[in-house]
Amino acid sequence: MTTLVLPARNEEAWRWADLSRLPALAEAAPTAIRPEPRWIGLGGPHLVFVDGVFDAAASDPGRVALGAVDAATGHPLGRLATGEGWTLTLAADAVADPVEIVHIATGGASHLPARIALADDAVAHVVETFIGAGWSNRLTAISLGRSARLMRSVRLLQDSGFVSLRDEVRVGEGASHVAIMLGAGGADSRIDAHIDCIGEAAFAEMGGALLTRGKQRQEAAVVVRHSEPSGQSRQIWRAVAADASTASLAARVEVARDAQKTDGEQSLRGLLLQRSATVNLKPELEIFADDVKCAHGATVGELDARALFYLESRGIEPARARALLTRAFVADALDRIGEEKVRETFAADADAWLAGL
Amino acid sequence: MTYIMLKIENLHAEVDGKPILKGLSLTVNAGEVHAIMGPNGAGKSTLGYVLGGRPGYEVTEGSVMFDGQDLLALEPHERAAAGLFLGFQYPVEIPGVSNVQFLREALNAQRKGRGEAALSGAEFLKLARAQADALAMPQDMLKRPVNVGFSGGEKKRNEMVQMGIIGPRLAILDETDSGLDIDALRVVGDGINRIMRGEDKAVLLITHYQRLLDYVKPDFVHVLADGRIARSGGAELAHELEREGYGAVAA
Repeated sequence: MTTLVLPARNEEAWRWADLSRLPALAEAAPTAIRPEPRWIGLGGPHLVFVDGVFDAAASDPGRVALGAVDAATGHPLGRLATGEGWTLTLAADAVADPVEIVHIATGGASHLPARIALADDAVAHVVETFIGAGWSNRLTAISLGRSARLMRSVRLLQDSGFVSLRDEVRVGEGASHVAIMLGAGGADSRIDAHIDCIGEAAFAEMGGALLTRGKQRQEAAVVVRHSEPSGQSRQIWRAVAADASTASLAARVEVARDAQKTDGEQSLRGLLLQRSATVNLKPELEIFADDVKCAHGATVGELDARALFYLESRGIEPARARALLTRAFVADALDRIGEEKVRETFAADADAWLAGL
Repeated sequence: MTYIMLKIENLHAEVDGKPILKGLSLTVNAGEVHAIMGPNGAGKSTLGYVLGGRPGYEVTEGSVMFDGQDLLALEPHERAAAGLFLGFQYPVEIPGVSNVQFLREALNAQRKGRGEAALSGAEFLKLARAQADALAMPQDMLKRPVNVGFSGGEKKRNEMVQMGIIGPRLAILDETDSGLDIDALRVVGDGINRIMRGEDKAVLLITHYQRLLDYVKPDFVHVLADGRIARSGGAELAHELEREGYGAVAA
């Protein structure tokens, strides 16, 4: 086994990451504890990976191909994901049924590559769920042809361990990439993405909600790059941190010299449920074009005491009042999920997290 | 038979260590409407918040009995379940929570507190629509986030819709008339009369001006000055105050 080489904290892109548990997790052995897959039930292809290994008996992969994956990266965590994985390829104009993937970790480490390649005008929807314990490391390479559309929803529900995701996305002319993430489990996480808008009028959205408690650390680090004119991007993230946990959001927009008329929006908001918790926010803009619109906002606060009293004065119990306001805080990040059943399931996962506080 | 709804005795309260209420006593019987009037800074809103249980409003002395129980021993949500409603001078905007969701949760939490069954979505909507209609509030405002983007008058109307849905035994209405034009004032006044007039109910109207009292005729008017009741009288006292000012009447 090769030695695990991890990025150092003094690298700016990793300043809030705590990867110190990964070497031990990388050596840990899988266990026999295998939780049941949690399906949303979308009626399309569904795949189970147990510690990164495809479970054919529990799966119906449909048009998702298993085997070697055409994905390579220099990313320090993403590059660990080599070998066999899954690939969803759609030809021009194809519309796929929603694909549902459940990643079950039993205690060891797994590194799984994946690729989603949509040709012109193709439409796909992929939902992924992470459960169990251990280190789940994933690399997902995504390419969208002209006017292709991908809706991707990922929920991190592992009870413990670490989930690291690296997405590398190329969005073609007029294509739309929407990725919504929910961190509502007990594991630490690093959601890491680089989205290149390489075609004119490309649309890229990535956002979601990270909910942390105890001593948990979750973070998202997303770079969206606009290389061509008239592109649009949205990064709407909400972080809720309880106890002594840490949630960090770094969102960056790069607008190249030729990418005139780019319309970018970043909204990073943090909510501290206790003063012992930490939220780090870093909105970044790097703009070389002169005719662009990039709205950005970053705020951290606590629940509004006046709103809490207003709810309680109408008979709502304090814990429920806090949950209602916290849920409202994350709502606009999760409301971006197009499919109603997926949106409602993610909202229910967020509710379950709040109810457990 | 006289039934005491609210009995406040020698109430002292402070905010940020500053004494605001300084020995206030007041008894409200079931079936009565009392108006509390007074100049700015007399402690009117503090009285409302103390009775509602707002954090930061410290009672340092005295007692408040509501419906035979010690009101000050209850949490704000327990006071609501016991039948107390506080109408806010400045209703709070809550983005992301719809009016219907908020009110259904509130009503069912209160019903649960009283050991009653929760209302279904359909039962609740029927009730909410009827109350909105009665207060001339457009139905679509029920679906909107609580008070977000509402005008001052719409917020006050929404308070009355909430009061109608919840159906409290005692309503403490803090400057419910402020921010209302003359038509809205009539609608709100009619709402208070419709919802809160009854042998087993009572109202404490906290107001700076006499004009709401033209629509909601009080049985008693009290002048609050420097943290205590300086003078009490019948409905005619409000007119005297309007004519001569607080300085002359409360002195």
